[in-house]
Amino acid sequence: MLRPQPMKHVRILVLREDLPQASLTLADMESFHPDPRQPQEQQLTPLQDCRYQKKFQQARSRLDKIAQVVPVPEPDLSEIRVVGLDELTETNAWLGEAWNFCLEHQEGFRELEEAERLLDEEEAALANFAELHVDLGMLRTKTRFLDYYIGVVPRENVHRLEGALGLAGHLLFTYMERSENAHVVIVGPTGGKESELGSVLSDAGFQAIPLPQGLDDSPEAIRAEQRARRERIERERADLAEEVETCSSDMRERLARAATVLVLAEPFVSLDPAIRSAGQLACIAGWVPAKGVADLEQRLSETLSHGFSLDSRKPRADERPLVPTVPVRHRLLQPFAMLVKQYGTPRYGEIDPTLLFTITFLLMFGTMFGDVGHGAVLALLAWIFRKPLGRFYIFGVMAGLSSVVFGLLFGSVFGYKELLPALWMSPLYDPILMLQLALGWGVFFITLACGLTIYNRFAINEPMAAVFGHHGVVNLLFYLGLVWGGVSIALTGSFGLVQAGLVISSLLALAVYNWFHLEASLGEKILVVLIETLETVIGYVSNTLSFLRVAAFSINHVALMIAVLTLAGMMGAVGHVLMVVFGNIFVMVLEGVIVTIQVMRLQYYEGFSRYFSGDGREFSPLRLRRRPRAA
Amino acid sequence: MSSAAHNAYLNTRVAGKATQLFRAGDMERFVQLGLPELGQQFGLGTILEEPGSARLKSRAVEQALMQVLLEELTVLIRPMHAAERGLVVAWARQFALFNLKTLLRGKIRQLDPQEIRENLYDLPPQVRLSNEDLFRVENAVELLRLLESGPLSLLARQAREIYEKRQEPFALEAAIDQRYYADMVRRVARLEDSTTQRQMRMLVGSLVDRANVLWLLRFRFGYDLSPSETFYQLVPSPHLLHRERLLELVGLDDQPKVIAALPEPLRSQLLDANNLMEIQRRLGRYLTGIAWSALRSGQSGVGRALAYLILREADLRLMFTLIQGRLLQLPDAYVDLALGLSPAICVHQWREAA
Repeated sequence: MLRPQPMKHVRILVLREDLPQASLTLADMESFHPDPRQPQEQQLTPLQDCRYQKKFQQARSRLDKIAQVVPVPEPDLSEIRVVGLDELTETNAWLGEAWNFCLEHQEGFRELEEAERLLDEEEAALANFAELHVDLGMLRTKTRFLDYYIGVVPRENVHRLEGALGLAGHLLFTYMERSENAHVVIVGPTGGKESELGSVLSDAGFQAIPLPQGLDDSPEAIRAEQRARRERIERERADLAEEVETCSSDMRERLARAATVLVLAEPFVSLDPAIRSAGQLACIAGWVPAKGVADLEQRLSETLSHGFSLDSRKPRADERPLVPTVPVRHRLLQPFAMLVKQYGTPRYGEIDPTLLFTITFLLMFGTMFGDVGHGAVLALLAWIFRKPLGRFYIFGVMAGLSSVVFGLLFGSVFGYKELLPALWMSPLYDPILMLQLALGWGVFFITLACGLTIYNRFAINEPMAAVFGHHGVVNLLFYLGLVWGGVSIALTGSFGLVQAGLVISSLLALAVYNWFHLEASLGEKILVVLIETLETVIGYVSNTLSFLRVAAFSINHVALMIAVLTLAGMMGAVGHVLMVVFGNIFVMVLEGVIVTIQVMRLQYYEGFSRYFSGDGREFSPLRLRRRPRAA
Repeated sequence: MSSAAHNAYLNTRVAGKATQLFRAGDMERFVQLGLPELGQQFGLGTILEEPGSARLKSRAVEQALMQVLLEELTVLIRPMHAAERGLVVAWARQFALFNLKTLLRGKIRQLDPQEIRENLYDLPPQVRLSNEDLFRVENAVELLRLLESGPLSLLARQAREIYEKRQEPFALEAAIDQRYYADMVRRVARLEDSTTQRQMRMLVGSLVDRANVLWLLRFRFGYDLSPSETFYQLVPSPHLLHRERLLELVGLDDQPKVIAALPEPLRSQLLDANNLMEIQRRLGRYLTGIAWSALRSGQSGVGRALAYLILREADLRLMFTLIQGRLLQLPDAYVDLALGLSPAICVHQWREAA
């Protein structure tokens, strides 16, 4: 589980007419990660005919857009078959029509929204006019000398529009402002400037408010007319929604077929960058897990109608950065693998840190959050909310169980010490011992991280970096010498000659290595070597001390609970219960979050930054998209 | 970091970067160089040496130069406060608007999506258009509808209404440009620090003044729009061409009168310019002069940073013009003309110049 799955580079030679079937087979096997590098043979060139790819891209985009408007059924993959260019073209054309249909209806809904918005504005305008003692009926008809426009304009355009209209001899009055619109009346002399005015008004986003007939009617009559218009809009909206519903159920079967066609066509398009051809021959290159090569060859021989050739070889040393790494697939490790992935993907050949991460995470989390009750609640909540949490619920359950185990060791149930006898002791009984253990854990963790760094560098064939590089053999010797010296001081009062010799010689070796690998002036070299050496000493000391937080948080957890119970003890019966309940909730939420962050920080900074480059490529095999994209 | 520390940091950064700006005589020296030397001098050797058509190389050079500018922008905006950063990013959004216009033109002319994509610039996240969905639309109205749901919503809504009424890209692009400058002016007005605001009023105002003069002359006398239509397309500037002055200028009925009525120093800069290309060039010189003065003696770090970016952009544009001229193997006279090393002339005189 720690070592990466061995991979092989595979090159498949097929006839061009077999390419779609070969792509489908590779996708169905889900074990082929395409390699888009240009092969050494110059005569092999990328495919020139891109019609299939273009049709696919357009059709895919159309289907995705349609899925945002109407539900698209799942594709039917009971039969895996090759999709030809003609079928793809026909599907794309149909999807174009379907999308136009959706677009028209979306526009219909928008027009209704717009009409409703205008009706709102009209109502507001008329409510405003109601205060005026003028004959509003006059505003609906142009007079012999005066031109009127009543409508709304985006507020930010009003000032400019006012200036522009002034140049055309018109005046603009703002009589009301609502959200981002201003209600305006524009007045000017009749004649001559209609087209000029129309162009400016259009550029300014002016929308005329139609004044209803019979403005001299009673307010009730006008309101009834507006109500009728609103009901008409609602009716039209309902009709449109019904039409969309009917059409989408009519289209359902055809949409399912289109989705199936696209899923079956996709592998050929996805594989395109890894395909090279010469005449009738095509070459596909990629990476396959070593144990899957034979199966792949067998499957290709069953599905391809013509002969083919499959060559496989181990990755070359210079190819290592390009080889994909197969991620850990164990169900229990999945959520932890996701957290590792946040940092990066291990390079091929490097140790996959997921298992180590899981173990050390649970140990540290449990130590810092050790309480049977809190752990049980955490695990229970993760279990109850397993659906929304998805695979991440396992993380909550395992973290909770780890807390339970450490809670049993510390003898703590919701902060009460009397309910369970401690299998070991409460952290607060001997804080010094806890701090010593945390320090020891830090030394072990850093030594382990350095060990992994050294292994990884040897694995990717970088022996000099493994010995002299950051956190390499020499660094580790220095660190162990320093720790040994520290322990000697604690036990005997002196650092010890051997320990001092080890520390000084390893620091000297690092300085000499840095000196010869630095290209700079003499002064700069001296400065850089001195600072780097000092940084090595300070770095290891501070990184080790960083682990004291493991003990500090375990003590803090107990202390917080003592505070909660003390406060509860000072209250009456009801207050006591409330204090215990809310105090526990407070501690669980606050500490739960802080402890998780602290453990992640230790993992990422003290662990991953040492031994895990994180710049690998994740194995992402060609596969059939078995579910439609989320709308 | 305190405000003074921000300013000091920014000033140091700008001073360091300003050493890269072209000085007098640099352009004359570059014109003497061949393509390989130019490539070497500006770190474009790999692009120019790779096999490919002149068009592809030209495109790659343009993208690389733009990348240089935007990387510098990313470094410079880091220590700025939100409002100041917003203003500088708003200036850089011109590149996103190039992309938007390319997308719109492509969709209006129903070009192949791949072809459109090849003509778009790769931009950093701060200035790039919102999402991949924009590339999947099938026409201009759908594109503008989609933009309505993003940060460009108001612009897109008005642009769509204009486009739906008058199916012409001109009105659309004019609305986009107009909104771009108006947004910058609004951001300047919102700046809290008075020193920064004063310097930005001048700098951003000069950018807007330059655009206003060109638009005014083009719309009023090139496209024959009425004073009111022309005024509506202009943006009142916080520097020289403020609202009242624009109202006066659009009412004038020929180009010499407009130039004579411009405030100083615009009037004296443009007085004997007899074609739009020359006017454009002199306006560019006017803007460069303002930017140099802001860079040399400005009090605000943010103002100096924007001045530097304006100058750097102008330099990189000149560099691109020169390299493109070399790639297309244009006669030296054309290249000199485009670089402003020889006086601007009308199109029909070009052949004679060559």
